[in-house]
Amino acid sequence: MTEKITPIREKMLANIRIQRFTPGDDRSPYFDNFKVQVETGMTVLEVLRHIKNTQDSSLTFRAFCRSAICGSCTVRVNANSVLACSTQLLPIIKDFGKASVTITPMANLPVIRDLVVDIDPVIEKLAKMHPYLMENRERIPETLEQESLMSQEELKQFESLTDCILCGACFSACSTVKVDETYAGPLTIAKAYRFSIDPRDSFRGMRIQASMDQGLWSCVQCRKCLKVCPKDIRPADSIRQMRRIAIDDGIHDTAGSRRAKAYTDDVEKFGQVNKPMLPVVVNGTKGWTAIEAGEAALEKYGLEPTRQVCTLPGQDGAAKIYAKVREIEKKEKAREQQ
Amino acid sequence: MLTYDVLIVGSGGAGLYAALKSRMEEDLQVAVLTKVYPTRSHTSAAQGGVNAALANKDTTDTWEDHWFDTVKGSDYLADQDAAELMCREAPQVIREMEHWGCPFDRTKEGKIAQRPFGGASKIRACYAADKIGHVMLHTLYEQGLRHGVNYFNEWQTISLLHNGQRCLGVNALDIRNGKLHTIQAKAVILATGGYGRIYWTRTSNAYGNTGDGAALAYRAGLPLKDMEFVQFHPTGLRRTGILMTEGARGEGGYLLNALGERFMSNYAPQKMELGPRDLVSRAIETEVREGRGGTDGEVFLDLTHLGKERILERLPQIRQLCIGFEGVDPLLEPIPIKPTAHYSMGGIHTDINGLTPIEGIYAAGEAGCVSVHGANRLGGNSLLDILVFGRRAGNHALEYARHTDFQPMPKDALAPAETYIKTLMDGDSKETMADIRRDLGNLMADKAGIYREAAGLTQAVAGLAELKARYKRLKVKDKSKIFNTELGAALELGNMLDLAEVVALGALERAESRGAHYREDFTERDDKDWLKHTVTSRGSDDRPVLHFEPVTITRFQPEARTY
Amino acid sequence: MNNNDGKLHYAFYSGCCFQGADARFFDILQQVFDKVDVELHLLPEAVCCGAGVIEERSELTSLAINARNMAGAEKMGLPFYTPCSTCFNVISNCQKRLEEEPKLFDQVNEILAEDGVEYKGDCKLTHTLWMLAQDVGLEKLSERITNPLNGLRVGSYYGCHTRNPSDIQNYESSDNPTSLEDILKVLGVEIVDYDTRDDCCGYHLTWPNKDLSLKMTGSVLQGAQKQNVDLMVTSCPLCFKNLDGVQSKALAATGQDFQLPVLFLPELVGLACGMSPQDMKLDWHAVPVHVRL
Repeated sequence: MTEKITPIREKMLANIRIQRFTPGDDRSPYFDNFKVQVETGMTVLEVLRHIKNTQDSSLTFRAFCRSAICGSCTVRVNANSVLACSTQLLPIIKDFGKASVTITPMANLPVIRDLVVDIDPVIEKLAKMHPYLMENRERIPETLEQESLMSQEELKQFESLTDCILCGACFSACSTVKVDETYAGPLTIAKAYRFSIDPRDSFRGMRIQASMDQGLWSCVQCRKCLKVCPKDIRPADSIRQMRRIAIDDGIHDTAGSRRAKAYTDDVEKFGQVNKPMLPVVVNGTKGWTAIEAGEAALEKYGLEPTRQVCTLPGQDGAAKIYAKVREIEKKEKAREQQ
Repeated sequence: MLTYDVLIVGSGGAGLYAALKSRMEEDLQVAVLTKVYPTRSHTSAAQGGVNAALANKDTTDTWEDHWFDTVKGSDYLADQDAAELMCREAPQVIREMEHWGCPFDRTKEGKIAQRPFGGASKIRACYAADKIGHVMLHTLYEQGLRHGVNYFNEWQTISLLHNGQRCLGVNALDIRNGKLHTIQAKAVILATGGYGRIYWTRTSNAYGNTGDGAALAYRAGLPLKDMEFVQFHPTGLRRTGILMTEGARGEGGYLLNALGERFMSNYAPQKMELGPRDLVSRAIETEVREGRGGTDGEVFLDLTHLGKERILERLPQIRQLCIGFEGVDPLLEPIPIKPTAHYSMGGIHTDINGLTPIEGIYAAGEAGCVSVHGANRLGGNSLLDILVFGRRAGNHALEYARHTDFQPMPKDALAPAETYIKTLMDGDSKETMADIRRDLGNLMADKAGIYREAAGLTQAVAGLAELKARYKRLKVKDKSKIFNTELGAALELGNMLDLAEVVALGALERAESRGAHYREDFTERDDKDWLKHTVTSRGSDDRPVLHFEPVTITRFQPEARTY
Repeated sequence: MNNNDGKLHYAFYSGCCFQGADARFFDILQQVFDKVDVELHLLPEAVCCGAGVIEERSELTSLAINARNMAGAEKMGLPFYTPCSTCFNVISNCQKRLEEEPKLFDQVNEILAEDGVEYKGDCKLTHTLWMLAQDVGLEKLSERITNPLNGLRVGSYYGCHTRNPSDIQNYESSDNPTSLEDILKVLGVEIVDYDTRDDCCGYHLTWPNKDLSLKMTGSVLQGAQKQNVDLMVTSCPLCFKNLDGVQSKALAATGQDFQLPVLFLPELVGLACGMSPQDMKLDWHAVPVHVRL
């Protein structure tokens, strides 16, 4: 039995609103509107190319592989950073409920022209992270007669991070870069982490230092980079892991390390964080000022200030869990050292 | 004037490997000129694997087995000395990549994992999930950062300069500000990739795979080789040409025409959908030609009968690709596909060191033609080619640059490039780039694509002359100096038109079918008359001039190619 | 524990925002939910979610304690409700990880067995926004409005942790969420768009980098202020604490000088349902809520 194939196709006339700007030529960014018949299957990139080919050949954007592996075509569609080549437009129109979408260049980077931004700041930050393998001679043979040995399990620890295509979507979405242009940005720390846990590498300490120099503890964990990453490498999680290995390697003397220690220890002891004392735990004696100010505020509302944490009832269970995890982690460490 | 000992044009695997090699071993001035950013290069699109007879999976594998498979796969057009060298060096270059941090998958013993590949007699393809090209490119880029390779990102090379004997350098456009520069170099390595885009939308290649290096060389009087050989992959997505791997058919997917018929039963009743690539491509083309294709000339890859569970478990990536790029969910409806130009076997004529007939000018990777792929490239050999010959070209160029002086640069070296761009900017007709480009793609796909025959190819040659005339009247409407992508695309179009003519003429001349080149009027391989390379140079009237050179045969005598 | 009493029942996970000095939030929630027939049942054995910070010491610990938190709700046979966006984010993340990685799931259960607990993996998580918009429903909510807040110009603010990443969403689009605005419309207010609506308030930088935190807070407030809103309303208690409690410092740090009232969503719902500013303890706000409510 054969049946003629009739593809499911929808069409809709949409208004595509695109930011235009050539610094030097234009005083400020402005928007052009283009009417395009958008149909099922059309990616954002196809729409941009369609406009360039038929309506305005000066519309400027980057695109190369158009198969989501080169990372050239990142733009923002209705403020969300996406790869233009692998993003269908019709579902976005439906999601936002109106036949008009706004396309703007990546945020947090200077515009060169229209949708093209200068990504050199990202590359410069990346380069500072020692983003390459430095041979660990215990693992990597001197000659090319053999490869180094590495288990699939060891590979899996960082394998998904090697998916990064340096598209910059996470950088564009990053809340911290927005307020601190010296901050490394998500992808560069993820890359530093990728090499730092590669058993063939010997440069972990340098990368921990480099990432601290570029704001390892400045990530606010807004989780936006997780959302926009087209390769799902979860940069924000890598940042947490980078902090973990920094602390493991002896970086205890930062506000971030102290916070991590306080949270972890307090939950074991009390079932929750001892918030009243957090200022001193994290910031040392100068934290007393904050504690006193907080207490004064409580008194204003007629509350009895306390420096005692109110424990959560699950604390006994938490302690048991902590003990067991420690046992497991100890075993794993021993196995690794073998 | 910018001056470098070694200048590498192109930042894919071959270019970066050459750059790294030149940079690591000697303190010479080395730079990479690229019209994109290095990690954007098309090397990243290679998914499956890279061949090296490591014998990690199949302990009986040897480099000689690999050599034979390569020669047989090439339909005996590969030069056997070059193929031998590539297969011998393969294990070393792969291990070098591994030592640099390339995240290959692993065997139980912790060695580099290998998987079976079409056309290979042993399990030989080293892999990293489905992204081997991507991780190799990034590994090379990372090591380049470590060793301080200089990059000129977003510079487009306009012309290649030499004095008839020796390399002088290049003229190039800084895309960001529209300025033209002459860059002096003792040695130039052209590593600009393939020319699949001459089929425009009918290719899996990146937008930029416009054969720039080959066109620059051709216009500078250097010969090209075996340009008529272009490999097609049967299943590219309709809209974009993006590949749907053979895995989808391997899992039991059906190929259907628009009438819903499983047409492979008429072409390969035994193997059905799993017949060899070229046969499946021709079958699809026939269905479309005979009016049983869809409205855009597509047929369909149907997975729906496999059921939701199996698709989600076994082919999740393919499903995501279809949804993202085509807006089609394979759980619900068949995937529209077309054969797609995939790999350019031909390229700049070089020896086994990547050297062209001009001293100091080299080519490597898909831009060059040594030749190791002959009439048809073996799967898993493209990444190997760029490593082995990228490295060799890098080493050789370095050695050359170390022992030679800069040649005097003529005062007016930049003038022709300035004139060329001025002509494009000041054209006076209504011709638009998009139109010419579309017509070029259609012409090549129809007349010089999967099926070829004398009449069609003659029409193609005539059509191309017409397109070149239209191109001369082209007008770039965007007048901005800043990041003028319309100008960039116009330059690329000029390159494609030159190469397309060479492809069509070579295909017309070659009166046999061999590897990826299929002539309906000469359906058999003809070793008596055609076991030879096509070498093409630009004649004085701007028309290609062909001559032929023998194939180097050292061990394997041509046999029928059956699998 | 479905009592067939016409009410919606939830296992209530308080997190750190709804006890101690912040216990008034819990009173407010209970009053408001009472109006819409929602009953909260305290999770008896909960511990702090660790706010993701524990992952900076031990990821496994973070996963295990949160699996244990969810197991408590599973045992009660009730959906897991937390009003805190960060708790929601961290616990959702734990749920997804354990769903995707069976090995990890087994390992976590091996750990929980020490405490005699089993995590089955069928816990349903929800947050104030989706509970009101989906479970209670906008229709029922509108029936309970006795004091529509017509004419009030409100800047809505989700915060980050119910939106990112998309896979924690089980109700609406992560790119274009509307639940907050849908609820606000029912309350009768006028919703004002402003360009920092989707920016992060910076709360979680309070300890490691106070300066940056204040910059972010100041910037969000400035965006809303520019559009002349009467007040901001947020569904996240941490964003609330930050935008209200730290407002004067944040504005000082960013060279601004104004007072912009900020409300926690349940407060505004309560007011629209006829409760008084005193019931909602608005006098506790750091920034006085002077507007007509």
